[in-house]
Amino acid sequence: MNGAINYTHTFSSGVVWHWPIAVYLLLAGMSGGALIVALLIRYYKKQTGVTPLFKGASLLSLVTILLGMVCLVADLDKPLYFWKILINYNFTSVMSIGVLALCIYIPLSFVVILYAFEKELNAFFANHFTFLKAFFGLIMNILNFIRPLMFVLTLIFAVAICAYTGFLISVLVRFPILNTSALPALFVASGLSAGIAGSGLIAAMFFREDTHSSDLKILHAIEWPVMAAEILLIGMIFVSLIIGSDVQKAASMAFFSGEYAKMFWIGVVGIGFVIPIVFNFLLGKTFAHTRFAFYVSSLASIIGVLMLRMFILYAGQTYSIFI
Amino acid sequence: MDTNLKRRAFVKYLALGSASITAASYGAVNDKPKAQTKKPNFGMIFDQNKCVGCTDCERACVKVNLVPKGQMRLFVEDKTDPNNRMQKRYVRVSCQQCVEAPCASVCPTNACHKDLLTGITTTNADDCIACKYCIVACPYDVRFINSENHAAESCNFCLDTNLAEGKEPACVEACRYDALVFGDLNDEESHISKLLRIKDSLRMRPECGTKPSLRYIPAVKMGV
Repeated sequence: MNGAINYTHTFSSGVVWHWPIAVYLLLAGMSGGALIVALLIRYYKKQTGVTPLFKGASLLSLVTILLGMVCLVADLDKPLYFWKILINYNFTSVMSIGVLALCIYIPLSFVVILYAFEKELNAFFANHFTFLKAFFGLIMNILNFIRPLMFVLTLIFAVAICAYTGFLISVLVRFPILNTSALPALFVASGLSAGIAGSGLIAAMFFREDTHSSDLKILHAIEWPVMAAEILLIGMIFVSLIIGSDVQKAASMAFFSGEYAKMFWIGVVGIGFVIPIVFNFLLGKTFAHTRFAFYVSSLASIIGVLMLRMFILYAGQTYSIFI
Repeated sequence: MDTNLKRRAFVKYLALGSASITAASYGAVNDKPKAQTKKPNFGMIFDQNKCVGCTDCERACVKVNLVPKGQMRLFVEDKTDPNNRMQKRYVRVSCQQCVEAPCASVCPTNACHKDLLTGITTTNADDCIACKYCIVACPYDVRFINSENHAAESCNFCLDTNLAEGKEPACVEACRYDALVFGDLNDEESHISKLLRIKDSLRMRPECGTKPSLRYIPAVKMGV
């Protein structure tokens, strides 16, 4: 922009949305991703009972989305006024639509966790708070009656939550890295990736799922196509930047130089993609089948997705149309 | 007989006249709201040829709108070409008052909205939860969080201060060089509309599709 009429002084100094938002984007993606995978595996294998994976995924999704809400509210400059967002709605705002989706999704994920831990909760109420036992039984009777409907709704809203986090920032026209149509798809893919890794990890750690059980084998099998989709989508965004307008070309520098390039190459590519691939394919089958390899590559995937969100958010807000 | 006829004619004309007046006034009444249904679209012109960079407008804005210390809704940036110091160029940095304002469309609580009466984009500080979505959504990056009430804000043409008192925006009042002109772009007879008909003006970053109401008249000097 050489024209003397185009100003370059602006009022918000640099990054406005900080790391709590990146963490929230990870947590929301992971929550949605975990439920999508768990429910799809349920449908695919026609499971009716409660599997360790289902327990792990439901626990993970509720905990992550609640922690995500904490991050979201903490990032407000007026956190005590967050309730205003619950009573005012603006349907042209992605954030408002997202809040509405969350208002449905969070209770749904709570219901899913009730399904997953019905037996445990029953046992708990048999010994403690016995006066609640009948009430809990009644609630579960109603919930079990509408269980298929609840699962379909949960699946739909889990996808919506994953996608909305991408749309939330892809509407920001000032930032060439964010304002791309591939971003919501990338966020769904990377959310799935984090959900797969996270729910497998929780199932193995807390619910004694064998790391070679048939459920985790499926998880393992879909992990790689999802990762491939992620790499493809990052590639698309990168290519659209380097062949784009002046401002897009300038923004593509985020991948080459500065702190954010390191974040991308070490965090996203190194930890997120290379470590899981090396651990699972290049170091031999015996190593790939150890619990150590399973835990480390799962954690690496999650950290990779976090780094991806960090990179997108920070580099995205750093490179704007003001050049 | 004659007088009778005359009287009759008189009554006839009276009736016709009053009927036509009623009709005319009815028509006029009907016409007026039609003209007024076109909502105002308040805009401003910044004339680079006239601005000398005195920053009187900045100070007036801070004073009238009680902008906290160290913050501003309006900034005059010196864009003088370093290779041509003789020819000074200044640019107004402030809310562009977009017709299709991204800040208003992304605000989840409708705190940032278009004022119903005037169509001016403004923020209701009480409803703002400071999610900063409007700040990142603004292609012009002219919104900020007020450090005192922690609500987002930007220039609103002094909607709740000077305009409410029937005066022109503080910056326009303060400008001694007529570099700023304020008025209704939808009113063909307004000074600003007349000016825009004869002057070449441009909108900042039209590619963003926001239709700003702030117009810039650039200083174009042909090299000899």
